[in-house]
Amino acid sequence: MDNTTQIVITAITLLGSAGIWKYAEARLRVKAEIKKEENSASDTVLYRDDLKNRVEEMDKALKEANKELLLLTEKVAKLETENSFLRREIDILKRN
Amino acid sequence: MERSKNRKAEALNKLKKAIGQLREIWQYSDSQPTEITLAAALVLLYPIATFLELGYSPILQLLAPIAGLYQLYCVSGNCLKCRVRASFITFSLYAIAGVMYLYYGLLFKGPSYWGWALLTISSFGSLKRIKKEELHRNNG
Repeated sequence: MDNTTQIVITAITLLGSAGIWKYAEARLRVKAEIKKEENSASDTVLYRDDLKNRVEEMDKALKEANKELLLLTEKVAKLETENSFLRREIDILKRN
Repeated sequence: MERSKNRKAEALNKLKKAIGQLREIWQYSDSQPTEITLAAALVLLYPIATFLELGYSPILQLLAPIAGLYQLYCVSGNCLKCRVRASFITFSLYAIAGVMYLYYGLLFKGPSYWGWALLTISSFGSLKRIKKEELHRNNG
């Protein structure tokens, strides 16, 4: 095989294949962009995003409610203790 | 008469479905096995076949095994960018072989030579599949 022919064929084919690939890649990119836009505008995706937001909000609310519940439990425990002491004092006072 | 028409329509529908399914698989299935096969052919078959049929060609016979090994390395590393690059090199090398065979009048000498065209198409399909996967992952 002649070396010059080899180099010329290789160079031409390489350029050709690069050109074909660039074209195909650009087409794939455009198609992917169109699909992405279609997906972002579709009802199911909007519904899913809405559900995601709601789940996040509910998660936050649940955490806050848990904190408040803990505080309330603490307060109830304190009040119960106070109440038992007060009852004892009332009993002592009644006896006297 | 109507029965045979129904059967024909049913068979046609089945055929259409099968073609659609094959198209989907061709476009979206995992391409690693194809990549490994193409790379292995590039390392083993390519230099021997081109040497025996086209003669000594350092560009093809030295570059092809390196490109094949690079493709295998990328598949094993599971890096998409690397796989796209390696697949493009593989596609280019198969295209070069195809054009060389065409130039020397061997491509249409016998059906077994059409394999080079098949390998070129297969490597291009594999390249497109990986690029699609990359775009899909980037788009989330």
